[in-house]
Amino acid sequence: MDDREFSRLLKICRIQMGEAERAKVKGEVDEILEYFNSLGDVDTKGMEEAFHPITVPEKLRKDEASDFNDINMLLKNTKTYRFYVVGPNV
Amino acid sequence: MKIGLEVHVALPTRSKLFCSCRTDAEEPNTAICPICTGMPGSKPVLNEGALTLAVSIANALKCKVPAATSFVRKVYFYPDLPKNFQITQKDDPVGIGGEISIEQGKKVGIRRVQLEEDPAKIIRQDDYTLIDFNRSGIPLVEIVTEPDISAEDELRSFMTELKSILYYIGIDIDKELKVDLNISVKDARVEVKNVTGMKNLLDAARYELQRQEKLVKAKQEIVQETRSYSEKDMHTVSSREKESDEEYGFIFEPDLTVYRTKGIKTAEPVYASRLAREYAKKYGVGESTIRELIMFNKESLEMIESYKGKHDMKPILNAISLLQRYATAKPTAATFEKTVGLLEKGFYPDKEAILGIESGKKVEAHAAAGTGEIDKEIKHLIKENSKLLKEYEKNPKVFNFIIGAVIKKYKSNPREVSERLERILEGFKR
Amino acid sequence: MNSIREFLDAEKPEGYGKRVLEELSKLNEKLNAFNNITGRLGEGMPFSVKDNICVKGVETTASSRILKGYMPAFNATVVQRMLDNKFSFIGKTNMDEFGFGSFGLNSQKPARNPFDENYVAGGSSSGAAVATSVLKYHVAMAESTGGSISAPAAFCGVVGFTPTYGALSRHGLIDYANSLDKIGIMARHAADIRYVFEMIRGQDPNDTTSIEGKYASEDRKRIILVDQLVNGIDKEVESSFMGLVDKLEGMGYKIIRKSVPFIEKAIPAYYTIAMAEASTHPASYSGFKYGYKNEDFTQHYNQFFTSAREQFGEEAKRRIVLGTFVRSASVRDKYYSKALKVRSLLLHELEGVLNEGFILSPTMPIQVPRVDDAGSLTPLEVYKTDIMTIPPNLCGLPHVSFPYAYHKGMPLAAQLVTKQWNDEAMLGLVDGWEKGFKYRFKYNIGELR
Repeated sequence: MDDREFSRLLKICRIQMGEAERAKVKGEVDEILEYFNSLGDVDTKGMEEAFHPITVPEKLRKDEASDFNDINMLLKNTKTYRFYVVGPNV
Repeated sequence: MKIGLEVHVALPTRSKLFCSCRTDAEEPNTAICPICTGMPGSKPVLNEGALTLAVSIANALKCKVPAATSFVRKVYFYPDLPKNFQITQKDDPVGIGGEISIEQGKKVGIRRVQLEEDPAKIIRQDDYTLIDFNRSGIPLVEIVTEPDISAEDELRSFMTELKSILYYIGIDIDKELKVDLNISVKDARVEVKNVTGMKNLLDAARYELQRQEKLVKAKQEIVQETRSYSEKDMHTVSSREKESDEEYGFIFEPDLTVYRTKGIKTAEPVYASRLAREYAKKYGVGESTIRELIMFNKESLEMIESYKGKHDMKPILNAISLLQRYATAKPTAATFEKTVGLLEKGFYPDKEAILGIESGKKVEAHAAAGTGEIDKEIKHLIKENSKLLKEYEKNPKVFNFIIGAVIKKYKSNPREVSERLERILEGFKR
Repeated sequence: MNSIREFLDAEKPEGYGKRVLEELSKLNEKLNAFNNITGRLGEGMPFSVKDNICVKGVETTASSRILKGYMPAFNATVVQRMLDNKFSFIGKTNMDEFGFGSFGLNSQKPARNPFDENYVAGGSSSGAAVATSVLKYHVAMAESTGGSISAPAAFCGVVGFTPTYGALSRHGLIDYANSLDKIGIMARHAADIRYVFEMIRGQDPNDTTSIEGKYASEDRKRIILVDQLVNGIDKEVESSFMGLVDKLEGMGYKIIRKSVPFIEKAIPAYYTIAMAEASTHPASYSGFKYGYKNEDFTQHYNQFFTSAREQFGEEAKRRIVLGTFVRSASVRDKYYSKALKVRSLLLHELEGVLNEGFILSPTMPIQVPRVDDAGSLTPLEVYKTDIMTIPPNLCGLPHVSFPYAYHKGMPLAAQLVTKQWNDEAMLGLVDGWEKGFKYRFKYNIGELR
């Protein structure tokens, strides 16, 4: 992975790294990706993607509304102003 | 010039897409739970009603509905997105490859129909935001068209046809649809995000086309970008950088599974504009009259369907429009029959008469007044004013006061009365 | 032997509960098993909860600074079911941040091995294993994504059970990698685990992937040793392990050797899927709705999020970056999609093998490492120590780690793997093993005489 690609990734992830950390992590990432490349050795022709290890039968919820009982407790986790949740500038 | 659209439709379910919260809350943050606020540990469970409606829409837009449908995570960062990823669809949406026929005689391709969750509502303050999660998780269907629209009137027709189809599925079309426009005059594709309302949509398209054409004429480059429409200034401006597919990094949503579409009972789609065309041709009535009555009115269509064998189409349509205008409740069969009956006899009931018919009183006088009685009244008025007969040769309008008098007395149809008067006067002449 | 029954039937002296928690709190200063000891020990059998499983109104952080202060407004389904069955919640156990680790070291205060504090406890359910190893009467709600129950259970000398994927509801579990995460149970006896498992399993309307399994109880009296898992491991581990194999043969099990090609590819497949899924979760942690708060709302949201996310530990950052990369559209087929296909292939291969009997291997290819030695390994070297635990985790297969010997005072453990939904027969084998082998513990807090 070249330097520009790595910078782009950090930006997408919204992660900042100092010079030293960046150099260390990039080296490790390269080594790990090299290892991941060995997946190419396995012949997976005819194999489907296994999104789950088991067959997950469909589970649907009836379209019925009900109120969550602990909205106050939920909102205690956050800063609110007149029942609105306060968020960063856009 | 090519226009493609992404239309977002909120589904009229009772509960949200992945949780049981209400969809009709008004006070901020009163219909929220750990799922729609993205609290760690919560898990989504799919709403059966939303899936059924989404498949109904795909079906009505003549899409191929895949045997199984599944969801993906689309990762991007914005304060209105509680998990910073949206659960949406990618490879197996509820519908692919459909079409809508529009008035201009062409078809607009539907690329895909997908089900996804709405983000929260965000209110911008000076230097922070206020967020209401009531909207977060409301089921949305996104309808993506092919870039087949090539003129403003086609854009208008497309939206009308689409809204009519959605209306007949039970979608609340009074809620403004949110549309993203993709417009390209040359190669570069410009996306105009989040336009709401028909007027804004047309204004935004017109502005953006002119802007791009101007650039072409000036031999300047059109930048492929995302823009937003300002309703106040009626123009589009370049907006925030949007992530690309590369960055969204779609993965299968592992908290959900694959859902079969086979057993889903969808509503039979209704194409009002096609019916209007067919009936106009079959019954010799104006297509636009029928369209106006049925494009966005189920009751009207039902009345046409149930009376079309029993009466002529013209009085049926007149009755529907009168009842639509004056009736206080959904017309009963008796009300409808009485109204059509009066029209067939040449009466043209006014508001008072319709109310009378509805309550079963008062109209008897008018209803009893057959065409014979009207003729008698006309003859009587002519005789009373027989000195005008001489003048009639030169000025055919001298007896027109009779029309007004008869209408006033019998609530008759003006055109009907004037035809009768003319015929009777012909008799006097001889 | 069922210590739950024993505990409930025993007469407890006055102030017993309080004293147990006091002793535990004191020891916790040394071992860091718990992130908080907030519960009360009443009449019920004590249970602890890994800190990535929500307990209503109790701080739940997954040992991450970015979730500091998060107070769930609901109980995880497994917690609710334990409470409904009158178990006593005592506290939240330490772990590697978000479950990202094999030794328990990716925590601000790493848990220590109760046999010797210079050694690691194993991860990521480090605290759950330490708690189980020091408390006489206790069961732990733990969680495994790629070996997070087996590894610490092995190093701390307790029984660690990871059920079939989907057997226990994940509702209330702070995700690491959803298609791999499994809540499981640690205890000092297989029978206790079986008792609790039967009590809390079963489908949950709040978790789409939790299902009512078609449970079997099939023991064909055969033990399969997979060449690729037994060869090339630590010599001491290998020779002790062969001693266990002999004893099982003595218990009437037929030993079969098999080769499973590509089983070692489970590691890159697992880490690819795990990181791809994992990289979407910390995306949610952005410094204002819960947990760590970035107070400066005037910052533009991208800056706001980026500065909040400085709270992530090093391994978390590494996995977020890697995971984001492997799911990028342009390389998706090469990594994410390929890994899912390798999972398919291994599922198929292992199913065939497990139809013949249980797979047995050492739980870890190494002896319990010292904290210093484990800390100096590169990330890739750490990943590779998961060779035994990853295949069953990747494929959602039930597995259990249990102690079978002690070397220089530290436990050695083996791992049994069986086919999906045959969880109970496997626990039955361990139950049988316990009849002839007594586990050792250094602490027995709460012991009743």
